[in-house]
Amino acid sequence: MLIPVDRLRAGESGVVRRIEGGRGILRRLEAMGVRPGKVVAKVSTVFMGGPVTVVVDGRQMAMGRGIAGRVLVEVQRPE
Amino acid sequence: MLVLLMGNPNVGKSAVFSRLTGANVIASNYPGTTVEFTEGKLKLDGKSAQVIDVPGTYSLEPSNPAEEVAVEMVAKASVIVDVIDATNLERNLNLAVQLLQTGKPVLIALNMWDDATARGIQIDVEKLEEKLAVPVVPTCALSGEGILQLKERLAEAAPGRLNFEEGEKWHLIGDIVEGVQQVTHRHPTVGEKISHATVHPVWGPILALLVLFISFEVVRFVGEGLIGYVFEPLFETLWLPLMSRLSAFLGGGGILHDILIGQLIKGETGEFYIDFGQSFGLLTSGLFIPFAAVLPYIFAFYLVLSLLEDIGYLPRLGVLVDNVMHRLGLHGLSIVPMMLGLGCNVPGALASRVLETRKERFIAATLLAICVPCMAQIAMVAGLLGRYGAAGFLPVFGTLFLLWIALGALMKRFTRGETPEILVDIPPYRMPYWKSLLKKLWMRVRWFIREAVPYVLLGVFIVNLLHSLGIIALLARVFRPVMTRVWGLPPEAVGALLVGFLRKDVAVGMLAPLGLNLRQLIVASVVLTVYFPCVATFVVLFRELGFRDLVKSACIMVVVAFSVGGLLNYALRALGL
Repeated sequence: MLIPVDRLRAGESGVVRRIEGGRGILRRLEAMGVRPGKVVAKVSTVFMGGPVTVVVDGRQMAMGRGIAGRVLVEVQRPE
Repeated sequence: MLVLLMGNPNVGKSAVFSRLTGANVIASNYPGTTVEFTEGKLKLDGKSAQVIDVPGTYSLEPSNPAEEVAVEMVAKASVIVDVIDATNLERNLNLAVQLLQTGKPVLIALNMWDDATARGIQIDVEKLEEKLAVPVVPTCALSGEGILQLKERLAEAAPGRLNFEEGEKWHLIGDIVEGVQQVTHRHPTVGEKISHATVHPVWGPILALLVLFISFEVVRFVGEGLIGYVFEPLFETLWLPLMSRLSAFLGGGGILHDILIGQLIKGETGEFYIDFGQSFGLLTSGLFIPFAAVLPYIFAFYLVLSLLEDIGYLPRLGVLVDNVMHRLGLHGLSIVPMMLGLGCNVPGALASRVLETRKERFIAATLLAICVPCMAQIAMVAGLLGRYGAAGFLPVFGTLFLLWIALGALMKRFTRGETPEILVDIPPYRMPYWKSLLKKLWMRVRWFIREAVPYVLLGVFIVNLLHSLGIIALLARVFRPVMTRVWGLPPEAVGALLVGFLRKDVAVGMLAPLGLNLRQLIVASVVLTVYFPCVATFVVLFRELGFRDLVKSACIMVVVAFSVGGLLNYALRALGL
């Protein structure tokens, strides 16, 4: 199933399938290694609307909650 | 010949630069410090080449001012050295392949080679060279390995011959990585576990508070230690006798004496003596204030800050405070200019340049100028309030902190514009390279000595001038109503406000002989912080914000100084002080 990154559980991974946004946000995410086909592993989220930290290609990065909501990943979850 | 050092942020470019040029440079590993590019010289075959450490950029399609600068520089380069983080090959190749399309001669430094090996990442350097058609040199800037080879092979740098369509770029990169890199899996290291903990929603803030508490204690310990065991004894045992003799030689009075030695203070026994804090002569207070009162804390502060920077803690701190900062209209990483501002407001204001929008820059710079006291000021306030302990410090710094939050929230509401979301790379924790750290520390201390001491001397001189010309007495009469009724301070304290334009530490020093009680010391310390920054900061603000925004800032400063100072005065009185 397809969910936004901010809804991943800590420790869970997903494959990026779609990023909803304009060229600007696509470029910025791309520069961080987040693009379709990439595996993103969730580390944690800071409380009260704070940023989401994930690992891509072995490297940590953080993105705002709003941005995270626009990166859609495919996860394997038991139905 | 112009050699450009380019690469992503956090790849160790500054360390490579430092190795190549032996020049003075700050080598941090968090984004934002190297926005102002640094230049140096490199000796190649007896000839001297100019080397520029270009602001870190992810691609040649710039998304912020620092990256735009990088792109402009490419046009002027003779050779480009692309510094690649070997632990992050794929992401770093984005810039590399774009550089290879520019037609400029390129050479690749595969940096952090040691780190990559430790993580089980193996890269076939020869194959990479083949695929990219340019020289590739594995380096470890920390140990210096590969740097010699880098210098030797610079002449081999070749124009890239890669050609690809925009849409094929990532395919191309993917192919290259697959062909040259092998990763052997291993268990998460201790460093990685700590790394995850420091951004954890619960552990993160707890660890952050711990880090901040420890930092504060270290700064206090080192600062007080240096003052108590080094500088004060030095001044008392070596300098004082000399000054006393000079004082006697100059006849204990007169213009030259007052300028050089200052006022002699009457002691309990009726004897007159030199007090380094109160005499206000060029050779007495003029030297004591910067070297014995402030420098120890400057050293201690930058020691801790440089350590936090080089370990890589600051981006994580930025992530943790991001949601709080957003309520102030700022972005998590604006915590960096604020922390820099605790050392000196000037680098803090300069660092606010990295923020993307005009709204953020305005709020950050204004909050910094109003609510963040510089170490020079903090050191002097510590000197004055020290004997009251927490009863003195808490009200002063607590008020400033609450003001920072409240003012930030207000400014967010009333300024137009958006604050973009955080999107930042978090580099792995790295052991700091001690040579780099000490060099950075030395540069910052030296900067302080060169920048501050002349202004302190000027400040002390001006204070003497103001006193002897009766200007302070005049201003005291004029501003008496404000000073006494709003702030509850003696009218003579207006002199401190006047001098505070020039140097905050000298201004706080002027409060010493006024015999203020605790409440007055607290109010005076807060007012001195918030009313206006020192002239050096003002100049930077003018360049950063432009005239109109500066005027807006200045109005806010005045309003805050009156209202907060006044409220604090009445609140403390109500509490019985």
